[in-house]
Order: sequence, then structure tokens, then C-alpha cells
Amino acid sequence: METLNELLGGFATAMTWQNLLFAFLGCLLGTIIGVLPGVGPVAGVALLIPLTLNLDPAGSIIMLCAIFYGTQYGGTITSVLLNTPGEASSAITTIDGYAMTKMGRAGAALTLAAVGSFIGGTIATAGLVAAARPLGEMGLLVGPPEFFALMVVGISLLVALAGKSMVKALVSGALGLLISMVGIDPVAGAPRFTFGIDNLMDGVSFVAVIVGVFGLSEILSFRRNEPTPVVHAPGFRQLFPSRTEWRRSAPAMARGTGVGFGLGLIPGMTGSVSSLLSYATEKRFSRFRHELGKGAVEGVAGPETANNAHANAALIPLFTLGIPASPTIAVLMGAFLQQGLTPGPSLFTEHSEIAWAIIASLFIGNVLLLLLNVPLVGLWTSILRVPTPILTAVILVFMVIGAYTINFSVFDVYVMIGFGLLGLALRNLDIPLAPMVLTLVLGPLMERSLRESLEISQGDFTVFTSRPISAVLIGLGLLIICSPLLKLRKPKALMEDPEA
Amino acid sequence: MSRKKIFAAVAAASLLALTGCGANAGASNSAAAAGDFPKKGKSIDLIVAFSSGGAVDTAARLIQPVLEKELGTNVEVINKPGAGGQIGYTALTSAKPDGYTLGATGSPSVVVSPLDPARGAKYTRDSFQPLGRQVIDPTVIAVQPDSPYQTLKELLEAVKAKPKSLTASTTGIQTGEHFALAQIQESTGSEFAPVHFSEGASQATTAFLGKHVDVLVANVSDVNDLSKQGKARVLGVMSGDRAPSLPDIPTFKESGYDLTAGTARGYSAPAGLPADVAKKLEAAIEKAIEDPAVVQKMKDLGLQTSYLNGTDYQKFWAGQEDDFKKVLPLVQKKD
Repeated sequence: METLNELLGGFATAMTWQNLLFAFLGCLLGTIIGVLPGVGPVAGVALLIPLTLNLDPAGSIIMLCAIFYGTQYGGTITSVLLNTPGEASSAITTIDGYAMTKMGRAGAALTLAAVGSFIGGTIATAGLVAAARPLGEMGLLVGPPEFFALMVVGISLLVALAGKSMVKALVSGALGLLISMVGIDPVAGAPRFTFGIDNLMDGVSFVAVIVGVFGLSEILSFRRNEPTPVVHAPGFRQLFPSRTEWRRSAPAMARGTGVGFGLGLIPGMTGSVSSLLSYATEKRFSRFRHELGKGAVEGVAGPETANNAHANAALIPLFTLGIPASPTIAVLMGAFLQQGLTPGPSLFTEHSEIAWAIIASLFIGNVLLLLLNVPLVGLWTSILRVPTPILTAVILVFMVIGAYTINFSVFDVYVMIGFGLLGLALRNLDIPLAPMVLTLVLGPLMERSLRESLEISQGDFTVFTSRPISAVLIGLGLLIICSPLLKLRKPKALMEDPEA
Repeated sequence: MSRKKIFAAVAAASLLALTGCGANAGASNSAAAAGDFPKKGKSIDLIVAFSSGGAVDTAARLIQPVLEKELGTNVEVINKPGAGGQIGYTALTSAKPDGYTLGATGSPSVVVSPLDPARGAKYTRDSFQPLGRQVIDPTVIAVQPDSPYQTLKELLEAVKAKPKSLTASTTGIQTGEHFALAQIQESTGSEFAPVHFSEGASQATTAFLGKHVDVLVANVSDVNDLSKQGKARVLGVMSGDRAPSLPDIPTFKESGYDLTAGTARGYSAPAGLPADVAKKLEAAIEKAIEDPAVVQKMKDLGLQTSYLNGTDYQKFWAGQEDDFKKVLPLVQKKD
């Protein structure tokens, strides 16, 4: 009851017209920044921190959280309409989102993404209010060995992402792992696969890779003599999902909320892991899994819900323990510190009014984002009315700007172009791209947690099987990998999945 | 199409308007007229070799407005994170020494990265011109609140008797914490099993809170809050005097170990600045670091301001380099 009173007090603070304006501006700015490919939430929030420095603490944090939300959604817009992921966590949305756009269902995809984001975000924030402390403590149970075991489960879902050919899926997955190894070797601290190029010291920029592999390769694959793919600009009636689409999205959103919320609690997980694993979950468990990859609503609703649930759940470790669970949250934490607020339990004792105002504004931000974006879906989709040749040119410019702004370095533009060519080659060879993205994201996390685990156990591999949580997870991973073998009665069930 | 155009125009205009409001356009005339540095309207880049939101970045952004006021021109904080600072330091040292590029330099990263040939750094200590030190953040050693070890001596004796019986966190290979462990090993013979959390202090702290590592090696600013909440028992601070924010915690020296270690952060330019430009920058940086509001905010973050001018910062840097060179073999990966 006391919590509720404090939350209501928070709403009173957050509902002042100034703070509402900050939240609204934040959502709007964030969306605009998110639409620029490459400028993801991290860069977006970091770029706009200076704008907020002159505001009072509550107002500035409210605005930053709203920017954070906005960038998340803005990234989705370009993923769906232009096949160019605006940021890492909406990379996987491009697969079915763009397929829906080709079918003239762009409006429906965007609406579902907005509603899913709203649901995921709101439920996760409710979790923050209801049980922040125990949830935060739960996240701590996951040490390096458990983290590694989780990654094993994640990688095992590659099985589900395989299309017609398991071999091709493994090739794609291995490629992703290989690319993720470029950079400073976390074990020895020495550069590996960098060929003496300083820019490669930190590895290949993930966003540049996905913009290249998904977006650029798509453009490159328009052959000269082939008619350009017809992308319908939807009429007003088609802006909103049909009853069937709603019905099919609901379970995907529920699963996405679960995946995103659970993973968001774990420090060190990034939002892209959540959206990827949500997609893989749909591939594995959805009733319509055979349609995924060809414009299934689950492929948009699931991951989009998951990444917002993740983003909000990731605030739980920040508020309860003062631990930034993801790079974006780390940037937010920096903003807290600049305002003289130290995130963590002391925030609620020393600045409880601000803390609750921020939490209230998270709810408000979710609502604003919905109100702002659903009416705008029509405006966004009108982009598709631009004649294809012009649109293609505009997209190319966007991609270059986007790749450049990741680290403000031209090198990333070259990376993007290089991976565009690679993506083209993979398409021509009929190699699915999803497994590569999966391993590209999970690879570094997996390597790091493996290394940390073995340092803890001083080289003893039983560390993974002697701890209950990680033993269960490793078992689950093995089960998923072996599941096609167990289905001997229906040997075609998985292998005949259409191309991912 | 036209709707889109209008929208884009409005968006662009609002962005411009907002950045305009955010930029500090108030140039004051407190800067003396030595030469024509800095030129009106030419902004100074302050390169931070770590990502935004971290301690180095926060400190740089705190002094930025004061620097702007003192120098009468825009100062832009630019983050070039990666490779343990190496990317940002490379950018700083390869810039023209004309005063329009400065950088935040933090040790041990800036001191250590050129020492190990395996890292292939293109700069040495001589590539930098130190302008001023801002903070020193000593290393601390903490154990779990339910740990049997009540004092530093008990802990170190126990580990000396059974080498590698306890795990200790660092923020990565050849980081300050790793060097601190090497110094302890070299002078007391107590060898911990290091666990490197290359993501940084927050990951190390998380693992410690989850009891996945036994000993937390971190900076004072990382443990202030944990100590207050009773989530960590800090046993010793590796500095000359007790840390103001942890007045009850003895220094290593008080416990009988003459060791100091820690992170120091300051600001430098590429070597070869013209003398009058260097003087002007040094004065502005001193003003910014010593600004009461900045000092207070640093204090809120648990950081003790400890200003040194360019010359003294250079000496301090050289001293740290000698300390690190001594234990370098201990922190290099044996092939």
C-alpha cells in the first residue's frame, strides 16, 4: 500500500506540464534519432545528454528515459519499412517486418510493434514497482557459469532457426562466431584477427554488420533486369492489424514479455539477445512457425515486445543495486551521476521523490510512445509512396550516415559495405542470415562468460554441471539440440521448415 | 511526399533549436589575451577514451562548462571508447599539438598500454603533454560481509599459506586492479586467483554481490555505497592517507604493507604545444578542476579531487610507469 502511495506521489511529480513536455519531447527526439540507422539507443541517449543537463534532476532523467524508449521504437520503423535495422535490438524484426511491408501490411506491423512495445514495457515497469528488490536479487544468482549456460540455450536455438538445410544454418552460425572473434582477445588482452588495423581492436561494429548484411545486400540484390520488388503503400484501412493478426500476436507478445523480462534482469544481457531469443522462441513454439520469415506477425510482435520488456526490466538492477545492466543503462547511469543522483538503494532513501517520479514517468513514457506512434503510422508508411529508385537512393544515404554515426568513423562505413557484399553472396548461396546474427550477438557474451567461469573454478570444467541453475540450463540446451532426433516419428517436422 | 518534407523540416528545425539551447554560447572575457588562442568560434575537442557515462566521461563533462567559460570558446567532449582506452589515446596523440585537441588521460590505462609490445600501441609516455591531474581514486580490497577475515593481515596471511585459494575480481587484464594484485603478490607473496571482468567495474561488482568471487578489488568510488549498505567489508585502502569517504578503513601502510595503487585521472594534450598555449590551457584546467561546484559534485560521486599541475602530473606519471614496469611480467599472459 505504501508503495502505491509513493507511486501516486511520483505520478503527481511526473504529471506536471513541464515533465510531460520533457517526456513528450524525449519520445519525439528519440524516435527521430532511432529512425536514423546506426544511431541506436546508446548513441542516441549519449548525444542528447548535453541537452538535458540544464534541466532539474527529475525532468532530465524523465526526458532521457523517454529518449531511450523513442530510439527503441524508431529503430523498428526503419527495420520494417526499409529493411534497415535502426539498432541492434530490432535487427531480427527486419526479417518478418520487411516481408510484411512487401505484402502491404507495413502499417499493421508498425502498429503491432508499438502495441507490443507498450505491453512489454508496461508489464516490466509494473514488475519494477511490485517486486524490485527480490527480482534484483534474483538477477545476482546468475554468475558467469549460469550466464554461459544461458548462452548455450540461446545458441541451441540455432536448430530452430535452420531453414531447409541444417548445414547452411551451421555455416551461417560459424561465420557469425568467427566475425565476433575479431578484436582484443579477452583472455590474453592481445589483438586477434585485427591485421594491424587499430579500428578492428574493438571488433567489428555489430550495427554496421547488420545494416550491411540485411539492408545493403537487399538493395544490391535488385538485379537490373528484374522488376524492383513491389512495395505497396497501404491504404488507410490497411494501417491497422486485422482481427486474425491481433489474435495471432497475443501469444507471441506474452512469450516476448516473458523472455525480455527474464533476460533483462540479468546484468550483462543486451536487448538484442532478448529480441533474438524471442524470435527463436517463436520459430520453435509458435503455432504458425512455418510462416515465420515470410511475413508472420509473430516475428514482429514477439521480438518487439521482448526488447521493450528487456529495456524496462534492465532498470531493476539499476534501481535496486546500482548496477547498469546494459550499455544504454550505463549511459543513463552517467546522467544520473551528473545530476548528483547515485542509482541504487540509496536513491529511494535519499531522493525517493525523484526515484518514484522516474518510475511513474516510465509508465507515462510507454503511454506517450503509443499515443505518438500509432497515429503516426500512417505518416511513416507514406514513406513507401516515394518511387522505388528515389527511395533506394535515400536508403543508401541513410545507411552510410547510420554506419558513420556509430562511432563517427568512416571505417564503419567500409565495414557496412563489405558486409553488404558478403550478405549478397550469402543470399545467392541460399544461406540463412538469422543464425549468423544470433551467433554474432551471443558469441562474445559466451566467450566472456566461459572465460570468467573457468577463472573462477581455476580451469575446472565441472563448474558448469556442479551448480544447479547452470546444470539445468545446460540440460535444456542439450534437449533443444537433440529435439529433432527425438521427433523420430515426425522426422520432417523441423527439417521441412521453410527458409528462415 | 510533401507531408514528409514538412515533417522532416520541422524535425530538423526542432533539433537545431534544441542543440542551440543546449550549447553554451556564453563566452566570457576572463581569458587573458595571450596570443590569439583560442580563435573565436573554433571549438576545442576533449577526447574521452572511454564510453559515456563512466567515471572518466562524467569528470570530463563536469569540467567542460567551466573550461568553456575560461577559454571563451566551445569545448566538445568526444567519446572514442575501446581497446582499454587505446583507440582514444591514439586519436589524441596523433592530433595536431595546436591546443584544439585535448584528452582525458587515466592511468593505469594510459601508462600501461604502451608498455606491452603485444598491444602494438603507437604512442609512448613522451607522446603526451600532461596539463593537470584531477583525481586520484585509490584501490581498495573488500571481502564478503560474512567472510571470516576481519583484517587485511588475516586475509593476506591466509592466501599466502594457500596460494590461489581465493578468487579476486579485476576489471580486465593489465588494469589497475590487476596491477594492484601483482604488487601485493610481489611484496607479500600472497597470490590470489584473478578473475578478469573485462566489461568493467559494474560487472565485477555484480559478480561479487552474487558471491561468485570472494574478493572485490576496486576503487574507492566503486565501494562507497556497498560499504554503507553493509554489502562489502572493505579491509584496506592502497593510498598514503585514509580515504575521506571511508574514514574507518585503514590504509595498507597502517596494516604493515607499504603499498599504494589506484587510478589517477587528468587531462593532457599531444606533446609539442606552443608554450603560451600550454600555459593558457593549464590555467583553465586548474580553474575547472578546482571549481567549488565541480569539486562538490566529484565528492558526491565519492571521488577526491587532488590537483597537480602539468609538471607534477608528468612526474607522477613517470613514477607510476616505474611501478608498473617492475610488476609487468606478473600481469602478462604466459604463453
